[in-house]
Amino acid sequence: MATKPTFTSVDQADLDFLGREPIPAKYYHEADWYERERQAIFLRSWIEIGHVCELPQPGSFIRRELEFAGVSLLIVRGRDGEIRAFHNVCTHRGTQLTDQAEGRTSTFSCPYHRWTFGLDGALLSAPDFERFFTTKADCALPRVALDTCAGLIFVNLGAYPVPLREWLGELADELETLPVARATRFSEYVYDIAANWKLTYDNFQENYHLRFIHPRTGEATFSSENPFGYPVRYQFFGPHRTQTIWTNPEPRIAPLQRVAMGKAMIAAARRGLAGGPNGREYFALFPNFFILGTVAPHFSHVVYPLGPQRSRGVIRIYWEGDDADASERFAREYVMAMARDVHAEDRAVIEAGQRGLASGALKHIHFQTQEALCRHLIGAVRDAVAAHEAAAGTAG
Amino acid sequence: MTMILPEDFADLEPFVADWTPATSAERAARRSAAPAPALAAFHDAMAPRLDAALAWLDARPLADLDPAGRNLLGLCLMLAHVALAVETQGQDEPRHALQREGMRITRTPADA
Repeated sequence: MATKPTFTSVDQADLDFLGREPIPAKYYHEADWYERERQAIFLRSWIEIGHVCELPQPGSFIRRELEFAGVSLLIVRGRDGEIRAFHNVCTHRGTQLTDQAEGRTSTFSCPYHRWTFGLDGALLSAPDFERFFTTKADCALPRVALDTCAGLIFVNLGAYPVPLREWLGELADELETLPVARATRFSEYVYDIAANWKLTYDNFQENYHLRFIHPRTGEATFSSENPFGYPVRYQFFGPHRTQTIWTNPEPRIAPLQRVAMGKAMIAAARRGLAGGPNGREYFALFPNFFILGTVAPHFSHVVYPLGPQRSRGVIRIYWEGDDADASERFAREYVMAMARDVHAEDRAVIEAGQRGLASGALKHIHFQTQEALCRHLIGAVRDAVAAHEAAAGTAG
Repeated sequence: MTMILPEDFADLEPFVADWTPATSAERAARRSAAPAPALAAFHDAMAPRLDAALAWLDARPLADLDPAGRNLLGLCLMLAHVALAVETQGQDEPRHALQREGMRITRTPADA
């Protein structure tokens, strides 16, 4: 006889390898530590910046500002179909080639002296070029490493990065099973926050806060057998980590939420997206990317550092295909608005945490068993900084 | 004479002027700007008609809706936002509206 699913908590013994000690608070507010993270992690890790559906045809391009590096990139689909990343900078005297956020073009032409570059970054023409003391071959746009997994575009500002799939390890194949690999459309909302990137990111990898910060929007998660809505499993893959979210057997759902979710599930089933192997997995890719495997919402969330105590979050809900009918459009609108309602509730309390930490009042902060993913992140960050500084001979 | 809404939904015409913004971001802003009685009045009139409205719209290609059909679709999409205010946030809606201000909607399929 089938029994009702019950919640079984993860076992601390399985998490003891992460340690139990308090964590120095300085990692979450000090400018010096942030600079070491920037050098060791953000300037040489694979950072997610978009999706291939933004570049539907040859000549499609998007511009991405990487504030943590002070860099502007052009992501371009070439005539050969390959997607490449270049610095948005004319090789003549450094002028940024375009301020357009996205578009389609056959060339990029510098507004200053009309140096003109092809979709592969080659310098095609430059007025009066005979008077220069260089060659066109030496004046191609500076290229940045780019690769994709599951349709997600990652760039790496390092000189010789490990290949993306090697970096993702066994998670690469898991990501490819997600609906995002087939996405053609997305909803997006963006927020700026006065908080360190890790403090912001950590909020979204622990459920301890849900019942206090999301008392209404989180209702579907709450139950007497699992009052905090904790996950049923944590897994660790090098610097990356996942959690398996719990399925509440008796979720409380608002009337139109039931209608919208029903229509979203019908649409997902029609598109063959429902019931994937990772439909309850929440992936956290080091350093700053999340994606939730559920089909509605199927969202990614990237937290980009803007400074030691400032970040920007970009949340995207991915969809396959154009809206087939009004019901699907309604469902997508509701799912976007619902996810935004939830995310809107976190910002103020994260900023309050930043102000408290920045005051210097605390030497340490504490993580419980069910904040293991936060503990794992700071461990991975410290490891990355130590490894980089050891290799560079700048430890200190 | 041009119909404001398809004939079966003529009773909803008083809501068209205020509750059919053009984009998702504008719908979110409209929700946040509306006082509680206005949210409740729209929700209570529109929610019981949603199934019928979507059935009427689903029978037609989305790209070829006439102005009356587009107005009806606009009311449905607006209800997605207003339902969250009325059914989920309730008393918290005015405070929640302030929290939402910082979450800028930049793109949705409905805006494409």
